[in-house]
Amino acid sequence: MAGRGKLIAVIGDEDTCTGFLLGGIGELNKNRKPNFLVVEKDTSVTEIEETFKSFLTRNDIGIILINQFIAEMIRHAIDAHMQSIPAVLEIPSKEHPYDSSKDSILRRAKGMFSADDFR
Amino acid sequence: MGLDPASLRLDQQLLQFMDQLEILEEKRQKLNTLIEEGWFNISKARYSMGNKHVSALQYASDMEPLVHVYESQTEKGDVEFKCVRTEDKAEELRESDTVETIGPTEGGLRRRVNVKKKENKEEKDTSKDECEKDPQFNSTSEKSPCRHQDPLKWFGILVPQNLKQAQTAFKEVITLAAEISTLQSAIVKTRLEMQSQMKDKQKIVSELKE
Repeated sequence: MAGRGKLIAVIGDEDTCTGFLLGGIGELNKNRKPNFLVVEKDTSVTEIEETFKSFLTRNDIGIILINQFIAEMIRHAIDAHMQSIPAVLEIPSKEHPYDSSKDSILRRAKGMFSADDFR
Repeated sequence: MGLDPASLRLDQQLLQFMDQLEILEEKRQKLNTLIEEGWFNISKARYSMGNKHVSALQYASDMEPLVHVYESQTEKGDVEFKCVRTEDKAEELRESDTVETIGPTEGGLRRRVNVKKKENKEEKDTSKDECEKDPQFNSTSEKSPCRHQDPLKWFGILVPQNLKQAQTAFKEVITLAAEISTLQSAIVKTRLEMQSQMKDKQKIVSELKE
C-alpha cells in the first residue's frame, strides 16, 4: 500500500451522488475540479462523455461508479475502455434497476461462450 | 498427446470462472440492496428536513476525500482494490484536539493572573505544568492542518437519524464497490487466459488431425 491512495469517482443522479459523497468519497482538487458529476435532466450526453473521459485520464482515480442508465448513454466510451485501472462499475439508479445483461463486464464474460471465441 | 492436460486446465479455469461469476452475483445483490436502503433513508431525511435541505446545493465548497482506494497487482496479474478510510484517524485527532486546546489555554491564563499573588512554591508548580502542557499545545498546532469534515455536517448539525443510516449504508457500498472491482478484474483476467488456452487447444486438435 505504498504511495497515496486513489479516489473513487461517481457519475450519477442527485441521490446517488449525495449518498456516495455522504460516504466520504468527494474531493475538489486544487483546480476546483470535482470527482463527481450530478446528472440532471438538462445534462447533455456530451458533457457526461467528456467527464467520463476526463476521469479516465486522471491518474488519481481508481474506480469510476456510474449509474447504469447513464452508462447506456455513453456505452461506446465504456466498451472502449479496456484497462483495469480505473475500474468502471455500473450501479443501479432509483428509477432504473440494475440489469446484468447490460453490464459491460458481464457482456464480455458472456461473450466467452459465443462463436467468436472459437475462431 | 497434449490434449488431455490442455482440456483439464480449461475445465479448471472454467470452474474458477463460474465461481467468480457466482461471487460477483452475490456481491452485486448485496450492493443493490444497500444502495436501495441508502436511497430510502435519504428520501426519508428529505421528507423530514424539506426538499431543498437534502440536495446537491448543500455540498460543501471544500471537500476532502475520507476514503482512498489502493490498488495492487496480484501474482496472477489481476488488480486488487483495497478501500482505506481516513475518517477514523481524523476523528481521533479531532477529539484529542478539542481536549488539548481547551485545557492549556485556560491554565495559561490562570497562571498569568496568579503569578503576582502566589508564592514562589506555587510558581514552581505552575512552571512544571507549563513544561507539561506546552508540548501538547504545540502538537495541536501541528495537527490543525488535518481537517476532515464529516459530510453529514453539510446538511446541518442536528440531522435526522435517517441521514446517518444512509451514510452507513453508502459507506458499506463503497467497500463493496472496491471488492466488486477486484472481482471484475479477476473475471476479465480469467476470461483472457481461457481464450488463449482455447486457442492452444485448437492448435493441438488441428495438429492431431493432420
